Amino acid sequence: MHPDPSTNDAKSAGLPRATEITVGYKALSPSQKDRLQKIEVNPEEGDAPPWDALTKYKTVGTDVDRIDGMPKATGRAKYAYDMNFPDMQQAMILRGSIARGVLKGLNLDEAKAMPGITAVVALKEVGNKIRFVGDAVAAVSGKTLDLVRDAIEKIRAEYDADVHNVDFLMDEQAPLLDSKGNVDEEWDEDKKVDAALAAAAHTHTGTYRTEVQTHSSLEPHGNVCKWDGNNLEIWASTQATFGVRGELARALGARNIKVESVDVHAEFVGGGFGSKFSAGIEGLACALLAHESKLPVKLMLDRFEEHTTAGNRPSSLMQVRGAVDKDGKITAWDWRSFGGCGYNGRGGSVRYPNYYMSDAATRRKHKDIATDADPARSMRAPGYPQGWFGAEMFLDELAAKAGMDPLAFRLRNDAEAMRLDQWQFAADKFGWDKARNHKNERGARYVTGVGCASARWGQLGRHGGRRQRYGMTCRIHPDGTVETRSGAQDIGTGLKTVIQMLTAEELGVPASRVRAMCGHTADPIGPASGGSTTTASIAPAVRHAAFLAKGKLIDLVAAHLGVPVKDVTCGNDKVGTAKASLSWTDACKLVGPNPLEVHGERYPNYPDKPFHRGVCGAQFAEVRVDTWTGEVKVTRMFGIQDCGLVIAKKLAESQVLGAMIQGVSYAVHEQRIMDQRSGRMLNGDFLRYKISGIKDLPELECHMHSVANGHNNTGAAGLGEPPSTATAAAIGNAVFHAIGAPVRHLPITPEKVLAAIASK
Amino acid sequence: MSHPPDHGVSRRSFLKGSAVVGIASTGITAATKAAAGPPVPESFGPGEHEITLLVNGKNKLVKVETRTTLLDALRDRMDLTGAKKICDRGACGGCTVLVDGSPTNSCLMLAMDAVGTELRTVEGLSNGDDAHPLLENFVKCDALQCGFCTPGMVMSSIACLEKRGKPSPDEMRQDLSGNLCRCGTYGRVMEAIGRTANGGNK
Repeated sequence: MHPDPSTNDAKSAGLPRATEITVGYKALSPSQKDRLQKIEVNPEEGDAPPWDALTKYKTVGTDVDRIDGMPKATGRAKYAYDMNFPDMQQAMILRGSIARGVLKGLNLDEAKAMPGITAVVALKEVGNKIRFVGDAVAAVSGKTLDLVRDAIEKIRAEYDADVHNVDFLMDEQAPLLDSKGNVDEEWDEDKKVDAALAAAAHTHTGTYRTEVQTHSSLEPHGNVCKWDGNNLEIWASTQATFGVRGELARALGARNIKVESVDVHAEFVGGGFGSKFSAGIEGLACALLAHESKLPVKLMLDRFEEHTTAGNRPSSLMQVRGAVDKDGKITAWDWRSFGGCGYNGRGGSVRYPNYYMSDAATRRKHKDIATDADPARSMRAPGYPQGWFGAEMFLDELAAKAGMDPLAFRLRNDAEAMRLDQWQFAADKFGWDKARNHKNERGARYVTGVGCASARWGQLGRHGGRRQRYGMTCRIHPDGTVETRSGAQDIGTGLKTVIQMLTAEELGVPASRVRAMCGHTADPIGPASGGSTTTASIAPAVRHAAFLAKGKLIDLVAAHLGVPVKDVTCGNDKVGTAKASLSWTDACKLVGPNPLEVHGERYPNYPDKPFHRGVCGAQFAEVRVDTWTGEVKVTRMFGIQDCGLVIAKKLAESQVLGAMIQGVSYAVHEQRIMDQRSGRMLNGDFLRYKISGIKDLPELECHMHSVANGHNNTGAAGLGEPPSTATAAAIGNAVFHAIGAPVRHLPITPEKVLAAIASK
Repeated sequence: MSHPPDHGVSRRSFLKGSAVVGIASTGITAATKAAAGPPVPESFGPGEHEITLLVNGKNKLVKVETRTTLLDALRDRMDLTGAKKICDRGACGGCTVLVDGSPTNSCLMLAMDAVGTELRTVEGLSNGDDAHPLLENFVKCDALQCGFCTPGMVMSSIACLEKRGKPSPDEMRQDLSGNLCRCGTYGRVMEAIGRTANGGNK
């Protein structure tokens, strides 16, 4: 069946659910073929019938404006940082100044007596460990931030400092490096890998490094807390409203504070990128200060705290040795990597694109190494951009040894059929052959180069678990407006717009009739915005809610018109049969004085095998290198990215383009610089920690590749993370092409470029 | 946050120490430019005192300390939260407002020093459903994602348009080089400026 979404028979719920659908995608270009196939899927009883590759959409896939664009552009949108209440207090945290040791003394008395101070709480007790520079010690609230700062300076905190280390390569667990930065240790024996290496036509070994990147969300972490008896209302800058609710209820309960309910708001969030899953110590401190002062309290981190206490993408060291046979097929892949973590020694794991070496003898080893620094947090595709940089650069070096073009080498080895189409499509769009064969003039100051890299991610969404599936509320109001609500948060990805568009599609009305609300825990439960799962997880619940609402409205209209329910459809802003129908607004008047309200749920993905698990993409980059100064300018990029069903096309493109710009930043600018002596970050601001600005913007283009995977009623997959896996790798390869020597260490700074040129 | 003790003189204590100098020059500006405002006292502080700021065409009384930045005065004392505090060090442009038509980092300006100037904030660009075409083009071009840098981007874009009429891409890059965006909206911000300059067309 190839349902028109707006005319699905909402009354088919009781029928057998096994159904045949068409999955795959249409040809990307005239020179390619359609990749469509029929599969049988088995939706659960009660779910909305599936959309598929042949569904004719009216709203989905079009360029609807971001629903909360105007509030953001006018400055009316209220982020947690913007909440103001009468008598609201400002607050900040005293941070430990040593990287490792023990809190020896803490005297808060003088601070408590300072003018305008309303609460002071200890966040550590004497004898507690200090684990990094910036570990939270105490918190203060007061009338203004200036007065709070005055009081913080009066807190007497004393420390017993221990020997610390903030450089993971100095740790005894780290491998030794030779003078060129290569891992200088024997490989353990592995019969299969050793045999493949011995039999190979070409072998290669390379060591790659990446540095710590901070999330640098523009809205810092923080909250506004307001108590009403035992109820806590909190405005949080978070990517997990329900996570914050549970975490604070537990943490306050553990401190013997009675809390009946925690109500979390995150209607607008100024970015997260993986750093804002937890309420954190700043959330707990804010709740405690508000409780003690009996006043609303705002506690937002400053930029130095953001860089030094709110997580990061950890650094990495990777060494690969690999081999190809005479046909350019990879036969051996031996990988060992090390993650440079914070004090908890976790989160440094590095992944690599394993679809290139599916037939090779492979081995993968990884070790996380702790330092006395702020712990890693998941950051936009955790472990991927690091590993992709190492692996994709290694591929180009190996291809060079085998005398193959990097693209041809990938086409030979990439086991993902969908990406083979993407490689060819994107290479044509980018003009790969011409650019790759361009010869820089000998001795020229400016040289150009091009490179490519793949993108991969594995998310088709979650349903929330057996006990509590994700939900969605849909209301049809008597005035003809529709409201769809989720308690999950939109951190800038466009979730609200996605909810709006899916609702409109299912009901057959223009998107302008639908309001979508997100980010308040009073609404149905939804996922945290992590792992690129939000849209993929929420979309089927939106459809189900709208599908149920449609069924109820159809019942009313059928009774009103005196026609059989099964003949009534919604579409083109009308409800009725071919002969008799009501306009949408007239139909909605039948719901009576109160809105028609239904609750949809997120059914598990179908038990059947989807067309493709996860998502893939490919990116191409062009750079211009100044061989005199070593400056790398990324001049042009093209990316193709699939995310299952493309719902809000313009917004999806924004995310891909944004991921590419962030990737440029990771490739050539970003690096946390630590002072080994003090254990302190030396560039914890936006002056010395550089993120890409408008002048770093390359000419950017992307193509959204909509794919019907047939895994649930909608077929959306993840998007936030996948495009960020490829960018730095593609740029690294372009620099290699331009200067003829690899720079194997991110960020690709002028000094490293000059050193690579000198080493040729 | 409180910086570790070895950090030396903090910016705030520096501001406290240098406030008197700042006020003296403000006094001259205020006397010559804002005759309608209250007389500027000869010395201030410690503690708060009242000043008049001309924001989006309206005179507003606001209580500040001498060390209060214009950004804090707008956000915390006047509930004008469009301008954002992102770096608080003049490095990101998130707090950009127009001071006598010039894009200015309000985190680096004392509220006192804004007495007698004409201030424009992002809130002045819309009134209910009635919004400046630039804002509509920001939405049309999807020149915003999380939206936190957006008010600053908008104010720098307005200044660019007012100064140059039809800015070239290089001129846009020059005028917006002080505004950081982490989501990566730069290209679409340039589209929105271009569209506005061309009366809504690409």
